[in-house]
Amino acid sequence: MISLTSPVETRAHRWPAGLKLGALCLASTGLFLVPGLAVHAGALAAVLALYAAPGPVFLRAGLGSLRVVLPFVVILLAWHALTGDMRQGLLITLRMVTLVALANLVTMTTPLEDLVALIRRLTAPLRRMGLPTGALEIAVPLVIRFTPVLVLRAETLAEAWRARSRRRPGWRLILPLTLQALDDADHVGEALRARGGALGPSGSE
Amino acid sequence: MQQEKYPGMQGSQNDNADFAIRLDDLGYEAGGRPVLSGVTLHSSARRIGVVGRNGSGKSTLARLLAGLLAPTSGQVRVGGHDLCRDRRAALRTVGILFQNPEHQIIFPRVAEEIAFGLRQQGLDKAQAAARVEAVLRSFDKPHWRDAPVSALSQGQKHLVCMMAVLAMRPRLLILDEPYAGLDIPTRRQLGRYLHRAETRLLHISHEPGDLEGCDELFWLDRGRIVAQGAPAAVLPDFTAEMIRLGDLDDIADLAG
Repeated sequence: MISLTSPVETRAHRWPAGLKLGALCLASTGLFLVPGLAVHAGALAAVLALYAAPGPVFLRAGLGSLRVVLPFVVILLAWHALTGDMRQGLLITLRMVTLVALANLVTMTTPLEDLVALIRRLTAPLRRMGLPTGALEIAVPLVIRFTPVLVLRAETLAEAWRARSRRRPGWRLILPLTLQALDDADHVGEALRARGGALGPSGSE
Repeated sequence: MQQEKYPGMQGSQNDNADFAIRLDDLGYEAGGRPVLSGVTLHSSARRIGVVGRNGSGKSTLARLLAGLLAPTSGQVRVGGHDLCRDRRAALRTVGILFQNPEHQIIFPRVAEEIAFGLRQQGLDKAQAAARVEAVLRSFDKPHWRDAPVSALSQGQKHLVCMMAVLAMRPRLLILDEPYAGLDIPTRRQLGRYLHRAETRLLHISHEPGDLEGCDELFWLDRGRIVAQGAPAAVLPDFTAEMIRLGDLDDIADLAG
């Protein structure tokens, strides 16, 4: 669900991030308040139409990131089939997919710096109280940047394991991976400090 | 490729002959053990080199010079500033390139990464964007603006780190073993970019070949400066000593 901004330019790319997130909030609340199966099916169709609007590349990329939801869809439907409440199952599934798709749409059409700027504006009251909000602003890009790095580290550790064992690597890799992640965090923190820190351009730390 | 110098580097801002690095009786301890002791170094050379074995305290020295560590004893002044206390001056005065670009790149896309330090320096969004464009163009890489960092090669990541630091127009660029693990073509290409930058450089390395072009060289051994001078004077002795140590077996000694 963490996807980068789509390189396919849409009109939505230029809309203010706050507006898009606000609309997302309203849509989510609205969907939860409305019980009708037909409404939810219609909502999902509408969102999919929004995905299709900018063209096939955008649609393919969007659907690709939605694949993450698939296992949850399967589990939910299977559970509700077992408990005999398919209608509820369908409702929940439709709502979940629609909301995830909408949220993903916002992510794909919002440049990262707009999101960070929005967080900065929203946390202004906290700053007035003297809290260091720079850390929050930098957390979002850091997660996006380092998720693939950590995945790669996990793969490298698994490789190192397989080079010396015929058994499959499992939970034993969690500790070294965590230690490497903490190490990375140390280094990144240092690099952050070297270029101004996460405390914003206020000068003295 | 254009031989265009990095914009803004010519001119009064950066070529003061009085810009000096002054270390006076510098000492640093970690975990109760001295990493650096009694280091005294005064230099106004444009290209300074620090050579030494791994474990000689070179990386610690780099961080002390960048103001990322506070000395246990003694003083560090770069361009007259105490960079550890005055972080605002630090952002203007010094930039540091670490060994592993993976540890330095914070943002997922190249333009965001370059813009970060600029925003920290106080530039607004438009000014930062303009400076990012200028930097990318001076490195002949305008097409890298929206490139995701995860798609770049090791050498390309080094270049992004270099661009991000040079965009902040520091008066001194500290390089902490920047070529570690890079192949010959990448080394030469990065070296060329560094040369074009016209910032003062302080290059730290264990590889004598990297430091031949320096104006002044310091040899750091076990936390102390044991020799200084022109590379032609210091490097042969250094290389001979390293070879001699290679014939011994001090790799067997445990640090504790």
